Amino acid sequence: MKTFWGILLFLLGWQLLAMKLNAPLVLPTPYATLFSLLEAFSNFETFYALWSTVWKGLMVLGLVIAVGVPIGFVMGLSDTVYGLMRPVIMVVQAVPVISWLVLVIFLWGIGWKGPVLISLLSLLPMVIFTTVSGVRNLDKTLVEMVTVYKVPKGKVFKEVYLGSIVPFVSAAVEVSVGDVWKVILVSEYLCGSSGIGVLISWARQYVDVPRVYALTIIAVALGIASERLVKKFLGRITKRWVTSS
Amino acid sequence: MGDIVLNAEKLEKKFDDLSVIDGWNLKVEKGERVVLFGPSGCGKTTFLKIVAGLEEKSSGSLDIDYERIGFVFQEPRLIPWRNVKRNLSVVLEDDEKIVQILKKTRLEGFEFYLPSQLSGGMKQRVNLARALLVDPDLLVLDEPFGSLDLPIKLGIMQDINSLWEAEKFTVLMVTHDVKEALYLGNRVLLLSKRPSRVLKEFRVNLSRKERNLSSPVFATLEAQLIREILEL
Repeated sequence: MKTFWGILLFLLGWQLLAMKLNAPLVLPTPYATLFSLLEAFSNFETFYALWSTVWKGLMVLGLVIAVGVPIGFVMGLSDTVYGLMRPVIMVVQAVPVISWLVLVIFLWGIGWKGPVLISLLSLLPMVIFTTVSGVRNLDKTLVEMVTVYKVPKGKVFKEVYLGSIVPFVSAAVEVSVGDVWKVILVSEYLCGSSGIGVLISWARQYVDVPRVYALTIIAVALGIASERLVKKFLGRITKRWVTSS
Repeated sequence: MGDIVLNAEKLEKKFDDLSVIDGWNLKVEKGERVVLFGPSGCGKTTFLKIVAGLEEKSSGSLDIDYERIGFVFQEPRLIPWRNVKRNLSVVLEDDEKIVQILKKTRLEGFEFYLPSQLSGGMKQRVNLARALLVDPDLLVLDEPFGSLDLPIKLGIMQDINSLWEAEKFTVLMVTHDVKEALYLGNRVLLLSKRPSRVLKEFRVNLSRKERNLSSPVFATLEAQLIREILEL
């Protein structure tokens, strides 16, 4: 109920501000935005764009875990690998999106690969460094224990290391889910061929501000829904590694 | 002379310039219960780590003749996200044996408890159960009762004695406590402070019945050992 009143208060504030500014090109009214939103949902193009953004997001999340966790794991285990890889990853982390953009446009032109690569490179360093923290956070006395009992390496990974890195990776994925849509939308806007970001870019070109706001609402809803879904899903997975009842 | 399980000659261990173990000569026979008794920082735990393959010696020789080692650590070292049974199956996947060990260490009914749900004493029992699960030729105990109160400590010590009576494994134990040393050992090696040497050997000739904290023979032996320690 509190959420409902909160939303109502937000809409009321928005309406009042729009009336006060009286500049539909800067802030359209909630009514105009809602109308545009309904119009968008009556159009197949919006659903196609939504699907295009969603699968890119899922692909980036999958890749970021598949690539970031193993790299972070090895870096966490070996100081030498950490020393060698850290500068490269720090550079990747510091390169502005616009520089990657130029590179991917030269490489592939406009299309889906650019947004996927840019988003991947934006999120990868965080997942890698979080996994490193997970491995380094591992209780070293447990490693001594399994060494004394000559526990096979595969079992050590499954029973000891995984339990230590899962909470860290899970936190990194949660943060990534929140960020992935923002990064994908920006890169779609700049170099994509389909997706919500592309629709926002077109709406800007036609100076259709209510449509920009409507598409933004879709993006926000997508972000919130995916964060909740992932949290629920991760909760189930990490249940196997809880340390207290 | 029985079979020699462990034979150290002029064993030395240094950490950079810090000499910790200074030429230990030590023989442990099969089925013996040897206690290392000495001040903090004199290298007792370091010696156990060398025996268990967790540390390298700096010089001297160490011949070891055992197939399986059971190590009861100072702290329980249990995997926090695994229940008691899974903690045990990490070292040996044998359900039947795990059930037997849980019974022997009086942990029946707690197999599905997480470490966070167990008391300090129970966790140490799991630590002991894990060590015994591998059928050790050599059971190493590294000050395992430090954080436990007397009744719990006594319970676990009694368990170890009964299990030793049945299995006759070799025991190598480190402690600061005279009572623990006499209760569990049949030979106490008195060590000097760092860099440590083996200064004296104290034989514990107690029958099964006399190995009792309240027995007069035990009290006499305790006084004797304390005297020996003070004379060093």
